[in-house]
Amino acid sequence: PPFVGNHCVDYSSSSLQKKVTSVDRASQQGKTEEGLQGHDHKEVALDAPSPDRTPEVSFDKAIRDEAIEHFRRLKDEIVAHLRGPDGRPLQEVIMEQARVVWQFREKEDLDKWIVTSDKTIGGRSEIFLKMSKNNRSALLYGTLSSEPPQDGDSRQSGYCAMISRIPRGAFERKLSYDWSQFNTLYLRVRGDGRPWMVNIRQDTEFIQRKNQMYSYFMFTRGGPYWQEVKIPFSKFFFSNQGRVRDVQGPLVLDKISSIGFTLSDKVDGPFFLEIDFIGVFTDPAHTEEFAYENSPVLNPRLFR
Amino acid sequence: KDEPWLVPRPPEPQRKPIKVPAMHEDLFKPSGNRERDKASFLNAVRSFGAHNVRKRGHVDFIYLALRKMPEFGVERDLSVYNLLLDVFPKEVFRPRNVIQRIFVHYPRQQECGVAVLEQMERHGVMPSAETEFLLIQIFGRKSYPMLKFLRMKLWFTRFKNINPYPVPRDLPQDPLDLAKLGLRHMEPDLSAKVTVYQMSLPSDSTGMEDPTQPHIVGIQSPDQQAALARHNPSRPVFVEGPFPLWLRNKCVYYHILRADLPPPEEEKVEEIPEEWELYYPQKLDLEYSRSGWDDYEFDVDEVTEGPVFAMCMAGAHDQATLIKWIQGLQETNPTLAQIPVVFRLARSTGELLTTSRLEGQSPPHSPPKGPEEDDETIQAEQQQGQS
Repeated sequence: PPFVGNHCVDYSSSSLQKKVTSVDRASQQGKTEEGLQGHDHKEVALDAPSPDRTPEVSFDKAIRDEAIEHFRRLKDEIVAHLRGPDGRPLQEVIMEQARVVWQFREKEDLDKWIVTSDKTIGGRSEIFLKMSKNNRSALLYGTLSSEPPQDGDSRQSGYCAMISRIPRGAFERKLSYDWSQFNTLYLRVRGDGRPWMVNIRQDTEFIQRKNQMYSYFMFTRGGPYWQEVKIPFSKFFFSNQGRVRDVQGPLVLDKISSIGFTLSDKVDGPFFLEIDFIGVFTDPAHTEEFAYENSPVLNPRLFR
Repeated sequence: KDEPWLVPRPPEPQRKPIKVPAMHEDLFKPSGNRERDKASFLNAVRSFGAHNVRKRGHVDFIYLALRKMPEFGVERDLSVYNLLLDVFPKEVFRPRNVIQRIFVHYPRQQECGVAVLEQMERHGVMPSAETEFLLIQIFGRKSYPMLKFLRMKLWFTRFKNINPYPVPRDLPQDPLDLAKLGLRHMEPDLSAKVTVYQMSLPSDSTGMEDPTQPHIVGIQSPDQQAALARHNPSRPVFVEGPFPLWLRNKCVYYHILRADLPPPEEEKVEEIPEEWELYYPQKLDLEYSRSGWDDYEFDVDEVTEGPVFAMCMAGAHDQATLIKWIQGLQETNPTLAQIPVVFRLARSTGELLTTSRLEGQSPPHSPPKGPEEDDETIQAEQQQGQS
């Protein structure tokens, strides 16, 4: 009897966790970039004929179902790999000039993103992400506040960010995007006139590089019209922990991990940004490799 | 009463640094009836130099002056920053040998110098050659403020002209000019015309704060006029808003005149007029087919929304003011007199702005939502009848 009691307690806590997850999914707030993508565990029936067989059956069954799910994903990945890169024929991939990477047409498209603000570190900004009314674009809205948190150390604060989750494959392996054949980032947005920061993070296994990213600005126009933003990848500059580094190099596009949008323009007030889709394409007229050459005054070793 | 006891009190020695700025705080207090402007700020900085020949406590004074800059309105003045750097004693903090250069020579003073440059960077002030000369004289070439200066000089020139929609540094104070700037900023069509339908008339009793009639400024492009002329008079148009637009650190609100998507059967193809010249045909029916390597279109369902016919900014956001805007629009859009106008206005609060923003993307064939809109439609029709 006490064994059965503990078992019931475990199941009730798991169900509570699931409810909390479903509630949190609406606001999509969280500091961790990595997370399960729509991964749902199957519920195991609680009614069993004899109590001594219940834990063994449920635990083994759950483990087996999880393993079967991951093996099925692995099979799908192997079949897609045999068909061609990204599961498409090679000829189609080679001749591709434009690709839609993220679009917002369903509720599940929002699960690929994480929204965060300095509320997680004690600030007063807040940010929310949801579908717009006609279910054709994502609406990112909230309030920016540059009041620093009262922790004694912070002097400046105030940011709101939206970051895409790292894509995951079978057995939770990290995947990445390969944008080697494209040279321009394309965003179809509608904002309120505020400037945003577009950050691209590369896939790297080193812990020391987890704050490194490539950034550029996205100036929204405001007004009721949609705006097409084209940012060549050569314009992204290298930054670490929000500071522009002295040694600059071009963005390597074969292992892109995630993309993010950050608002921190020191103007307190509400904001909104609608995003239709995000894509990459090849601009034949753009032949620049990198826009920021290194300075011999700041980096004398590079010029010896 | 229990709460003050629960909060731990800071120790006694921590109170002493708070009193140190009070020693120099008197320099920044306005004497007599003088205002807080650049002259009084310069006078305060020079007073510190006069009272303190040895410049003892100059780091605290510079930090205090940096905090006081926004109050005096000199936070974007380069000469004031140079004057603050001039407060540092010269040739004292320069490293004289390699050992001093390896370690941070005079770290508190270098941090203060970096703080001055940081505030310049935050307000977008480009350092000049005088700044460089001052930094070399105070800290030397191999110092952190000098490094910060070099980085600012490098990246400020790179990011100076990257905004495709520039907003002037100083926004106009006149609400009419601000509305014109905002409308021109939002409109992508350069041939659009800004029209002032009504000037703001101040009331005699309350002055400028409460004008009896607010200003109304609108913008419309020739394409939008043509689209409004082709609009089916049996389908209503909607006035929606207010929507926010940020110009630097000022938020202004605008309204739009838009319609729902026409049903698919009404989308008639515009007929091309008769050929008037055989050598230069108006329509070419070439059969060049695009191959896979030549396809630059994104494979995505397009967001279909109703057309926007006009935009306006008004001094007030009530329906009576917007009705005057519609009446002004009818001078250049005669067909607007026959089209019913429905007002979908939201209260000017942050929460409802998002709702009204969502309202702006209603799906096609949306039915009327309630009696309020019906009443507004009836009122609008009555207004049309009266006009």
